[in-house]
Amino acid sequence: MDTVRPLALTMGEPAGIGGEIAMKAWLGRQTERIPPFYIIDDPDHLKALSDRLGWPVPIQPIESPEESIEVYERALPVFTNRLEHQPVPGTPLSDNAKAVIAAIDIAVASVQSEQADAVVTNPIHKQTLVESGFSHIGHTDYLAQLAGNEARAVMMLACSELRVVPVYVHMSLRDSIHALSIETITQTTKITSQALMNDFGITEPHIAMTGLNPHAGEGGSIGREEIDIIRPAIEQMKREGISVRGPEPADSLFHRRAREGYDAAICMYHDQALIPIKTIDFHKAVNITLGLPFVRTSPDHGTAFEIAGTGVANESSLVAALKTASAMARRRRGLAKH
Amino acid sequence: MKPKIGLLLGDRNGIGPEIAVKLLTQPETHEGADVVLVADPAVYVGGQAIAGVAVDRDIEFHPLEAPANETSTGTATAAAGQEVLSALKQVARMASSGEIAGFVFAPLNKQAMHMAGIGFEDEMQFLKSELNFDGDVGELNVLDRLWTSRVTSHVAIRDVADHITIYGIERAIGLLDRSLRDSGVASPKLAVAALNPHAGDGGNFGREEIDVIGPAVGQAVDNGIAAEGPYPSDTVFVRARDGDYDGVVTMYHDQGQIAMKLMGFGSGITVLGGLPFPVTTPAHGTAYDIAGKGDADATALIEAWRTCTRMASGR
Repeated sequence: MDTVRPLALTMGEPAGIGGEIAMKAWLGRQTERIPPFYIIDDPDHLKALSDRLGWPVPIQPIESPEESIEVYERALPVFTNRLEHQPVPGTPLSDNAKAVIAAIDIAVASVQSEQADAVVTNPIHKQTLVESGFSHIGHTDYLAQLAGNEARAVMMLACSELRVVPVYVHMSLRDSIHALSIETITQTTKITSQALMNDFGITEPHIAMTGLNPHAGEGGSIGREEIDIIRPAIEQMKREGISVRGPEPADSLFHRRAREGYDAAICMYHDQALIPIKTIDFHKAVNITLGLPFVRTSPDHGTAFEIAGTGVANESSLVAALKTASAMARRRRGLAKH
Repeated sequence: MKPKIGLLLGDRNGIGPEIAVKLLTQPETHEGADVVLVADPAVYVGGQAIAGVAVDRDIEFHPLEAPANETSTGTATAAAGQEVLSALKQVARMASSGEIAGFVFAPLNKQAMHMAGIGFEDEMQFLKSELNFDGDVGELNVLDRLWTSRVTSHVAIRDVADHITIYGIERAIGLLDRSLRDSGVASPKLAVAALNPHAGDGGNFGREEIDVIGPAVGQAVDNGIAAEGPYPSDTVFVRARDGDYDGVVTMYHDQGQIAMKLMGFGSGITVLGGLPFPVTTPAHGTAYDIAGKGDADATALIEAWRTCTRMASGR
């Protein structure tokens, strides 16, 4: 049965721009063809925000995710998750951290019980959560734990023209190079290849891999990782039947003509992946977590405290995150039928 | 008075000769400067035949002192490399003596120069030695109005963090500031890129921003340079492209090159910054695969000429 399930959107840091971009996305639901979603948030907070901004966004509390399908046409469905204090834009309060985390827990529970199609997360402010005892490196790490995941979760960034997957995410450049291994590269590649097939509907995915060093090491004269680590990883992947090429010099892999040759690029460090995607599409890049038992996406920006509450925040990335999550979840469900 | 600017055809087996003659057929080339062509007459004539153009002007011409006398289009040869090294010496001498105000060269081939025994990492170090010059030099990458300098260049990423020093960053900032001023930007505004993801996220993802880059930016500001940062490298180029900055100081090769090549693959140029006179060249290479067909695009060489002219006129 092709039942419509809504997307579960978390509140994120309530002093950030999460609430207002959610309302902007809802306002654009028809022109942008955004599938039904509900936000897990405090209705009083959103009402105050829409009043202050003077936006025509009716707030409708819901009891269960499925109600949101019917509500979505006329109001923003809100699954109630009370805040300790009403937030002040730009000033995060650690007293509200519990609600921020609860929103993530609720969203995950809803997808696990098949009431929601996917989890879409608004940006959180890690420092505020850490101050109240949150011990995870970030969102993704926490979600992996909730999912009971053994395998590593992998971050993909995607826009309409490019998909990139860094082997390591939140680590210093120095540490990420020391951690680089044949195993981490092959793991990342396998998860990416699976996702391209199952979530993106690409039957024969082609993957390109960057080199680590300038000019991809120039035959070993500018670093040996290409020879000692990356090339063996590529050979191993080929033996397992995955189409991978590289290591390619990172500075010539991302221009238009080069992009046509692959479905995703595996990158050796964070900024090697982030620089091209931000340069190509600053506003619409989506952050996608691969390797979880459920679909999770998020906008590729932070809490933007400096503009929170003013209404100027750009909702494009959230809109893309919602649409991408829906497309991925539907494809995955279609696959599960067979 | 217009400055005299030297022009080399580059590696004779690549696209250099054909794009150089295309440059010379542009009226604009001769408007801001007088061309001093240093070339093998046979290669110069051959370039016009390949490009299907005739350079119909009186140009000051100096034959190469040591021409290669053989062409193998599309192949790196020691003979072509040798010719290029000799041509660089010749033109550097002319610039040193003030006969020309600077020079532009069409693409060289690193492999050919190494086959000829260049003895240095690249043409920059070769020129520096040839000129007995011991000032700070560095390659600058330029795309339209956006300039970048880098603290490390052809260094393995593993070693980059160890090569990032306050002194090195200050040098890269100073070089970019001076070169931008030379090119006519009265008060350049510079952004300095971070080394780590999210600019280190307050020390969570590396401390170089706090311990090294931040203090170096502070010192540059104290010295009167309008530098800011360190900024996360995934957004700093977009902000610079949108006009917030005239230049970006990068920490390593690919940090700048990924963004710059994306914003203008093929039209970027390289400035050999810090030398006593301006030297510029296209950022692209000899393109052996399309050499000799007349299809090669001269856009970057024309840009290199414009920039060299501006820099020579501003001095």
